[in-house]
Amino acid sequence: MIRPAPCEVARRRRKPITPEDPDLTPPPRSTARSPLSWGQLLVWVLAALAIALVLAPVGVLIARGITQADIGAALASPFVRGAVQLSLVTSAIAVAAIVALGTPTAYLLARRRFLGRALVDAIIDLPIVLPPVVGGLALLLLLGRQGPVGSPLAAAGIDVAFTTTAVVLAQMFVAAPFYIRAARAGFESVDQRLEAVSSTLGARPWRTFRRITVPLALPSLAGGAVMAWARALGEFGATIMFAGNVAGRTQTMPLAILEAMEADANAAIAIAVVLAAIALAILIAFRGLARAGSRAL
Amino acid sequence: MINIDITHRLGNFRLAPKLQVGPGITVLFGQSGAGKTLTLEAVAGLLTPDSGRIAIHDRPVFDAATGLNVPPYDRRLGYVVQSYALFPHLTVAQNVAYGVFDLPRGERERRVDSLLTTLGIQDLADRRPAQISGGQAQRTALARALVRRPEALLLDEPFAALDEGVALTLRRELRRLVRDLVLPVLMVTHDLTEASHIGDRIAVMDAGQVLQVGDRPRVLQRPRSARVARLLGIANVLDGNVIGSENGVEVHTPIGPLQTARTGIAKGSVHVAIRADQVILTRPDRRDDRPNILDIHITDEADFGHSRTLYARVANAPTAPILEIHIAPHPYQVMGVATRRRWRVHIPPDAVHVMKT
Repeated sequence: MIRPAPCEVARRRRKPITPEDPDLTPPPRSTARSPLSWGQLLVWVLAALAIALVLAPVGVLIARGITQADIGAALASPFVRGAVQLSLVTSAIAVAAIVALGTPTAYLLARRRFLGRALVDAIIDLPIVLPPVVGGLALLLLLGRQGPVGSPLAAAGIDVAFTTTAVVLAQMFVAAPFYIRAARAGFESVDQRLEAVSSTLGARPWRTFRRITVPLALPSLAGGAVMAWARALGEFGATIMFAGNVAGRTQTMPLAILEAMEADANAAIAIAVVLAAIALAILIAFRGLARAGSRAL
Repeated sequence: MINIDITHRLGNFRLAPKLQVGPGITVLFGQSGAGKTLTLEAVAGLLTPDSGRIAIHDRPVFDAATGLNVPPYDRRLGYVVQSYALFPHLTVAQNVAYGVFDLPRGERERRVDSLLTTLGIQDLADRRPAQISGGQAQRTALARALVRRPEALLLDEPFAALDEGVALTLRRELRRLVRDLVLPVLMVTHDLTEASHIGDRIAVMDAGQVLQVGDRPRVLQRPRSARVARLLGIANVLDGNVIGSENGVEVHTPIGPLQTARTGIAKGSVHVAIRADQVILTRPDRRDDRPNILDIHITDEADFGHSRTLYARVANAPTAPILEIHIAPHPYQVMGVATRRRWRVHIPPDAVHVMKT
């Protein structure tokens, strides 16, 4: 059975509604010029507070980072360099692994009806609502030396907890849902008739997936990967529980900020500014991808 | 040649088409919901029937008994779905080339170029589907389906979304193309005009079943049942009762006894179909010795431009269904049909088509 993609329906609905009946046209906005009523003033004030809550701390951080902390010197220090390097490497590996494992998962959720699908769907989202510290503890219980998977591994000479591998696993645990959710929505938006036509044109499923499904879902896949990467970079709670805070091995940027605060606030601020800059770049890239995606179709 | 004999259950709907598709265009005609698209999907391999067999040129592609089910990518069919489903991220040329990825580059380009030229879309090669018109999209979809040199072509309402003028041109081109390629084509449509324009053969489908298959004129003139006659738009379908008579077979109908040219019909209850364009209007004031002369009274009429439809009551049969008569504008003018309401009709015995109930 072939059904039209949901995006097609949505696009049809987005057609502009032209008011033919004069009764349907909204009355002229007289409020724009008249003085604000108390109620409207309250709305504006609350909105301004919300913006300030986000902007003010970040603004102060960046201002202090520029004026006081010597970012250049901090970045040159082995302590900060080690944390930045470890964060970039582990988060890159985590995102690669998330894409490798999450893409088939998202595809199955989007395209197949199987027993327990609703359950899988709910489980995938669990890490989003679960406090990261709880996730870290759970990972430790499973993969720690006494854990049901950790002890045989330890017997084989493989330690997972409190290693760089643990950092990657903690990041995967918290970040994977962001990718899977986005990828699933992306696959669902691909018109299944296109895949059907592709198969009648001699394309085996793998070719259809590569040439039709993935290119059409690409904006969603890339957007999901970027969001997962941002989440992995900022990972703190699960990492400190499961991987500890060992400089050079498990001390990622967020953990390094915590340690630096006890000794040298300027180093903490420098790392924080770097993290904030990466986050901002990610946000801009994500917006760009989303726009490119909507333009492509 | 495509051989279809399958059954498939979908909720309360039972799909059970039985059909042979030879060279030329076979139109699968029926109302929406008759199961036409599902039948195409089953042939293409996109729907797995519950039981039955499908063969393409004596090569079985589906056989429920042996568990054979050749996947769509190995069935070697061209399939054009409704509203074309062009790949939006590929250009027209890339869409057409999609099916021949396994050919060497030179050969691939030659084939794509020649098809683009045949279908008159070579200038659009680098455009995206969003940048071309409906008719151009249809040509692209056709080229894409033909590029693999399929053994048969499946078309699902290929002209439904097009303006009438564009559709007419494309129908003619499709007929020419199919003649040149000697390809069996199974084309789904719910449009009777289209079915009678383009089909070499017509298969009438209703409620999941193929009620009748045959050459176009034969199906249009000789529907097998009252249901087929009504689906084919035959206006006058009457209940009848066959009785023998000295000069051939006579059928008693609500509009009176009618002689039919058909022979060898068993006595008893039948249906009678009379095409509105085969009822001949004549002057009521002349002696007429031909059979099947009825006095009528025109109660209403409708102008369809190329023809007029008269709705008439048959004299002495006030409870009979209204008789529909088609008449061309010219005789309508010359005879002055508008000036009077009482007329006479002649129904030639070979226009009285008798069907089993």
